[in-house]
Amino acid sequence: MPVLEGKELRIVGFLCNWCSYGGADTAGVGRFAQPTDLRIIKLPCTGRVNPLFVVRAFLNGADGVLVSGCHPGDCHYTAGNFYARRRLEILRELLDVMGIQQERFHYTWVSASEGQKWKQVVSDFTARIHDLGPAAAFSGCPAVPIDMDETGIKAAG
Amino acid sequence: MSTARFLKARDIAPWLEELGREYTVLAPTRHGDTVVFREFEPERGIELDRLSTTPAKKALLPPCETLFEYATTKTDTPPYRTSIELRPTLPEGKILLFGTRPCDARAMQIFDRVYDGEQVKDPYYTARRNAATIVTLACSGQAGTCFCDRVGGSPVDATGSDVLLTPLKAGYVAEALTEKGMELMRDTAFMKADGLRQEALNVRNRILEEVPERTSFLDMERNLLSLFGDLGFWDKTAESCLSCGACTYLCPTCYCFNITDEPHGDSGKRIRTWDNCMSSQFTLEGSGHNPRPTKAHRMRNRIGHKFSYYPQLHDKTLACVGCGRCISNCPVSFDIRNAVACAIQHAAANAQEHAHD
Amino acid sequence: MAHTQELRTLIARELPNLDLVLAWTGGFDPLSSTPLFITTEADLDRLAVGPMHVQNLAAYLPSLKGRKVGIVTRGCDSRTITELLQENLINRDEVVIFGIGCTGAVNIRKVRTAVNGAPVTDVEIGDDVLTVTTGEETHALRLQDVLMDKCYTCAGQAPRMHDHMVSERSGCLATGETPPSSLDLLEGMDARERFAFWEGHMDRCIRCYACRNACPLCVCKDSCVAQSRDPHWVDQSDTPREKLMFQAIHALHTAGRCTECGECERACPMGIPILAMKQALNRRIKHLFDYEAGMDQESTPPLFMFRQQEETIKERDAR
Repeated sequence: MPVLEGKELRIVGFLCNWCSYGGADTAGVGRFAQPTDLRIIKLPCTGRVNPLFVVRAFLNGADGVLVSGCHPGDCHYTAGNFYARRRLEILRELLDVMGIQQERFHYTWVSASEGQKWKQVVSDFTARIHDLGPAAAFSGCPAVPIDMDETGIKAAG
Repeated sequence: MSTARFLKARDIAPWLEELGREYTVLAPTRHGDTVVFREFEPERGIELDRLSTTPAKKALLPPCETLFEYATTKTDTPPYRTSIELRPTLPEGKILLFGTRPCDARAMQIFDRVYDGEQVKDPYYTARRNAATIVTLACSGQAGTCFCDRVGGSPVDATGSDVLLTPLKAGYVAEALTEKGMELMRDTAFMKADGLRQEALNVRNRILEEVPERTSFLDMERNLLSLFGDLGFWDKTAESCLSCGACTYLCPTCYCFNITDEPHGDSGKRIRTWDNCMSSQFTLEGSGHNPRPTKAHRMRNRIGHKFSYYPQLHDKTLACVGCGRCISNCPVSFDIRNAVACAIQHAAANAQEHAHD
Repeated sequence: MAHTQELRTLIARELPNLDLVLAWTGGFDPLSSTPLFITTEADLDRLAVGPMHVQNLAAYLPSLKGRKVGIVTRGCDSRTITELLQENLINRDEVVIFGIGCTGAVNIRKVRTAVNGAPVTDVEIGDDVLTVTTGEETHALRLQDVLMDKCYTCAGQAPRMHDHMVSERSGCLATGETPPSSLDLLEGMDARERFAFWEGHMDRCIRCYACRNACPLCVCKDSCVAQSRDPHWVDQSDTPREKLMFQAIHALHTAGRCTECGECERACPMGIPILAMKQALNRRIKHLFDYEAGMDQESTPPLFMFRQQEETIKERDAR
């Protein structure tokens, strides 16, 4: 999907299958209007979120990363989000040490029935990222896939 | 070659800056506490007082080189066909390598036999090689880890260089060794100074006199080869090795590479990057089998390649120039000189034992 | 020196019961040292201990599991042993610890920089001063200025556990004000500056993975995710981004485990201050979970466990 210049930023969402993805679905079914910057990646559980997913997303040019799972105590696998909570707390700190603004990362809990809350989370987070603007990128490291028009490669007809 | 010219120390930076318009100028500059070869920029300065931490090889063999870029496209309508477009990326433009040491310059000839040989010519390497002019600075002495004299070189060796600089007070006597060197020395930064040739020669001779008498590592190919099956010896030799790649990546003569495709969506590039024979992945096969499973196997290969296999293939020239970077930068101070000396001794002892059998 | 002699005696007495003993000996010049694998009494002659013998020998222990190994250990390195025991990577009954009181660990790189890379012919350790001779020149360096960064946050010079202890001489020789460390520098920056800091330093990384291979807690060794093609965590491009990605991998895989032994930074041939990244993260982990790695063998590292009600974590957006 094209990134609309100046209108959209890159926000990656890692959502657990059982609660937050359901919540996002509920928001959709309920036709709650939401910003469209977020790209959702569905995972079985927040316990599956390797903190490195988030680091990799940022280093590849994400402007914000959102992780959302079942409320503590409601994990489909009993304890996945308890482990995730600790990992993601440490991740937040590492991002800061690496020089990636902590505010660009957020984790939260949204259940499958909380369509309204999901809408709020997405709207708030997207607004926050827009306030922060595009993330700093390494010089010489394109955040976007190489634009083939610029490299002179002709698309095959 | 006949001409000698003088280059004032303070003229170097402006001259290199001027050359920057025509060449990609690579020179040793400080980077943190280290000295690395990188593109010359006046504000970075230039560090000629000590051997650079990284070798000059990146001028001819970059740590990461794009071989080609590619893009795949898929047609919108059935039958959906995927096609691929390639764009080769051959290196262009002239390169000036300034301030290499004799060991680093000598190393370039070790690459030549492999990448620019009779049978195989690597287009990327040869493009860079032909476009490169190498200005070498003779060393004014040997550091504790230097051993160029034991592997067929010397602190003032001109092998592989286009221009040799000999340090004098306030500047350098420059002597051209090739056509390319002559061409470069026509620049106005160089002052006519044919009279200084003798003085430069005297300086170099004085430097040579300081080189200690030490046992040479030349002509040991067969001895080392005889230790190939003696894994116990290599186990002992490699016991402290951490299997990192500091020695290989900082080695001016290590030339092994890896080729990978690095895709980003529908497009990407094929790149060639430095590889490291001390890593177990170096020989790991697709089946999961690894012919060099332990660090002992890998150490045997590293030492064997430099002091035995390569010289056997290439007229007895060692694939080691004795810069000592692998010693001074090793996290455990592994000393390749001791390892080779031990190996030679051990091989001799083995041979004697067999003679008694 | 008396304490070296005492150590020799201790090791000689135990040696018949051990497969090998890990210690140090001199390297290629008076500043350098290299690990010594002692198997016979004759090897003991080469044994040397002192402020220049700084390698954390515990890094070899996991690969020697199953053999009976003696190890010479100072305070900081013993935390590594504790951590390895906590993670069942080594067995306590296979390790015999010869403790020494650390007198301070010299940052060899700082010394070489201070003498502008000149060949070192002699080094003498005075009470507070390191006297380095380079040919005709002598440089008197204040010991405090040339210590390893980890020394400035030292949690004790004597090992936390030992089987034998050298009684002779202990206590850090360095006195006076500590110079600013990379950690201080990093902590004083904002996010943007930190990003630039790492980008600048990673620019000269050569991807040799010495930091990883020297790390005593990087036990995956030949199966590191950094060299996996699938999943493709790190690509081979020579960019600060990919190099920093590896440092993030290293920091996260050692989060709550890293004992700040500083081997990553010491091993780096390019002098990249990567210990500061781990130190900074550890400060925050201490704040979050009140945990420091390698201090207590009975404790559980913070990422190996959880609490239903985390006292220190704000229950983010709980219902």
